[in-house]
Amino acid sequence: MLSHAEASENFIADAARTDWHDETLWLVREKRDKVSKVLPEWEALREHASQIKDHTLANLGEYLQAFEAKAQANGITVHWAADAAEHNAIVHEIIAAQGSKILVKSKSMLTEECHLNDYLVSKGIEVIDTDLGERIVQFRNEAPSHIVLPAIHLKKEDVGETFHQFLGTPKGNKDPQFLTEAARQHLRGHFLASEVAITGVNFAIAETGEFVVCTNEGNADMGAHLAKVHIACMGIEKIIPKRADLAVFLRLLARSATGQLITTYSSHFHQPREGQEMHIVLIDNGRTRQLADPKYKNSLKCIRCAACFNTCPVYRRSGGHSYHQPVAGPIGSILAPNIDKKANVDLPFASTLCGSCSNVCPVKINIHEQLWFWRQDLMAAGLAPAAKSIGMKLMAFVLSNPAIYRLGGSLIRRFSGVLNTRLNPWYKQREMPVAPKESFQEWYKKR
Amino acid sequence: MRVALFVPCYIDQFYPQVAVASLELLEKLGCEVVVPKDQTCCGQPMANSGFASSTKGCDANFSQNFEGFDYIVGPSGSCVLHLKEHHPSEKIRASVYEICEFLTDVLKVTSLSAKFPHRVGLHQSCHGQRGLHLSSMSERNDKPFSKLQDLLAMIDGIEVVLPQREDECCGFGGTFCVTEEAVSVKMGQDRINAHDANAVNYIIGVDTSCLMHMEGILRRQGSKVQVKHIVEILNHA
Amino acid sequence: MSARELILGKIEPLAEVKHPGAFQGASGEFDFRASLAVVGARVVTPSELEEIFPGRRRYDKTLDGLSLAEVEVLEIDGEFGVAENGAIWLTEESLPHRVAPFICQHLVINVKKIVPHMHAAYEELGKVKSSFGLFLSGPSKTADIEQSLVIGAHGARSLTVVIHA
Repeated sequence: MLSHAEASENFIADAARTDWHDETLWLVREKRDKVSKVLPEWEALREHASQIKDHTLANLGEYLQAFEAKAQANGITVHWAADAAEHNAIVHEIIAAQGSKILVKSKSMLTEECHLNDYLVSKGIEVIDTDLGERIVQFRNEAPSHIVLPAIHLKKEDVGETFHQFLGTPKGNKDPQFLTEAARQHLRGHFLASEVAITGVNFAIAETGEFVVCTNEGNADMGAHLAKVHIACMGIEKIIPKRADLAVFLRLLARSATGQLITTYSSHFHQPREGQEMHIVLIDNGRTRQLADPKYKNSLKCIRCAACFNTCPVYRRSGGHSYHQPVAGPIGSILAPNIDKKANVDLPFASTLCGSCSNVCPVKINIHEQLWFWRQDLMAAGLAPAAKSIGMKLMAFVLSNPAIYRLGGSLIRRFSGVLNTRLNPWYKQREMPVAPKESFQEWYKKR
Repeated sequence: MRVALFVPCYIDQFYPQVAVASLELLEKLGCEVVVPKDQTCCGQPMANSGFASSTKGCDANFSQNFEGFDYIVGPSGSCVLHLKEHHPSEKIRASVYEICEFLTDVLKVTSLSAKFPHRVGLHQSCHGQRGLHLSSMSERNDKPFSKLQDLLAMIDGIEVVLPQREDECCGFGGTFCVTEEAVSVKMGQDRINAHDANAVNYIIGVDTSCLMHMEGILRRQGSKVQVKHIVEILNHA
Repeated sequence: MSARELILGKIEPLAEVKHPGAFQGASGEFDFRASLAVVGARVVTPSELEEIFPGRRRYDKTLDGLSLAEVEVLEIDGEFGVAENGAIWLTEESLPHRVAPFICQHLVINVKKIVPHMHAAYEELGKVKSSFGLFLSGPSKTADIEQSLVIGAHGARSLTVVIHA
């Protein structure tokens, strides 16, 4: 598995494509700016949403139980899963009880996190991802590269090729309208035939026991409303206290994600359809550990809008696949180490700590501060490469000793030419700073 | 007013002219400037690399050198932000200022005698902007303000332009500049291109780290565009 | 120990943070018609509607959603519209079937009441619970192929609104 730095280097090797990827996502950031700047109450909304989430997390156990009770009273079967393996087993069991061998699934980053598709396939069940972007990457056997725009790393030529291969569209046709129509016809057949539908959950309301699913395409609903069995999967942090709170979140979500005023569909599932089985699976998978750590608790406020991705100058120039796990970008970099420190040690360092992410986050997650905290925790866990640890100890020693610092400084300046080599990563594409004859302190001494 | 000059380590060693300009400017504005001679570094390079636990010696040295000062002023947004957020001494945290911040908020400067009749591109430097609030940021829905532009407006003859994507990061990011070299340079290159589109002769900012990174790329390109720290402009004859 | 007990057992209540209550600062300058245009819906008068969709159907409640799959143009009534974003609240009670507004090719909605923004919308919804409801804003759409906006993804290809308010 390539580290973020290695994968990014490969990504950037195609400079024109990197510029295109960067420009495309920056435009999404600009669309977000356009709609946020015309609302005088924007910053107040962010603060309000942040406080609702803070309050919820402070009382998460209570709210989860309240939700469970209300949902059950509504006729929804509530399941709990401690981790991804349990989650996948529960989902499989429900499907197996129905006897289905194929199902439709709308976008759920949680199911990506659990690698649900792979698990179900291993059990002989075919999963049709119905979000257009997800279907495209599913055909290509790739992971989504963005949590809202799964196929943002692909050009229309790429999609045209893929649809030609899997849907029989004419070779060379890259017209988005035509390709979308082909996908509509292809997936419509699956919607009409599916007995089981899996969806994600954007928000679950403790007060009423209902849950909300937001889409632009209508694919979650096309699946769920025709299926005999609807399985909704959600992380425990998706709970919000009251129905009225949805106003705040629905005003922030689409504006932050795509610069739309609201998603086309915001469906409120309260009770199963008559004759339908509705299930909801509540999963922990490390969230309780995150919750218990004051440094990282705030990461659980996330509503998965990806505004942080779109604004991140590093993400835009490295692409989602460089983050080598399901949720990329800034939020992914503070969530992933909680799941696996060793595998994700590089992610909190894939940042300049510029702070742009924290300031577009609709729920005010202090992402850039958590990146800094993760750096400390990961290094304290002994995951630094030996050279780095030694280098840091040396630096600490030199910088604690003024005389040694002054000597070191003058030596570096005197022999700085030595660093003009491609072995010095700085020097690959940049000139080294010109070494002055005197340091400031040396000059000042003579003044 | 008695002020201690904080000289960031890489300015001390590689860009002494920035500290000279800071010293001269503060004196011109009537400050008694003390330069603690045994200062080394603020500790940020280690802390941002995940080794904040190793900065005790460095922090202690900083405390020793700057004990008793109400105003510790330095020409670096990121170093000052690091001290404000992470230095163990409450007094130190309360007493450090980035130099532009000091000029506008404490000295309340309303005029400067400097001349700089050139077209310059202003680089916002993330830590100074988003961390120290030296100017409003494009992400937020706030009333626009800029302490930097307020000061630059006092300079005779200067023309200040902001690039497209006014406050995008340059890509220096501390050790990021070498650990993620490809992304770092691409970001720096893109910033430079944005300034080039405005045909500026200089790129200026509050952080020499950003400037050093962009200068490295500019010189490798053979560009005629130069970088200068804002304090060099504010102090320009 | 069940997963439920395990999970709940790991959750410690944190220091008190009060719920901030209802949001008070909503601005008021929203135009329903303008928002409908932004989200890709068109507004027509009843007589214009006759000309555009003479063959449209209203459906009584059907139990089988699949029977609606062949519908070209479906006409339904919305509960109210939201000026800030062109959304219309629909409920299962007034739909032929939950899938109806998605499965038809073209959708027509009558709107008799308009509220300014989402806070007002949730007040309007009040405590009245529907077994299923949705905010529907415009025709289905996607920009998943190179950010090119395509109207008509899996849900209805178009939305036509008649405002009776």
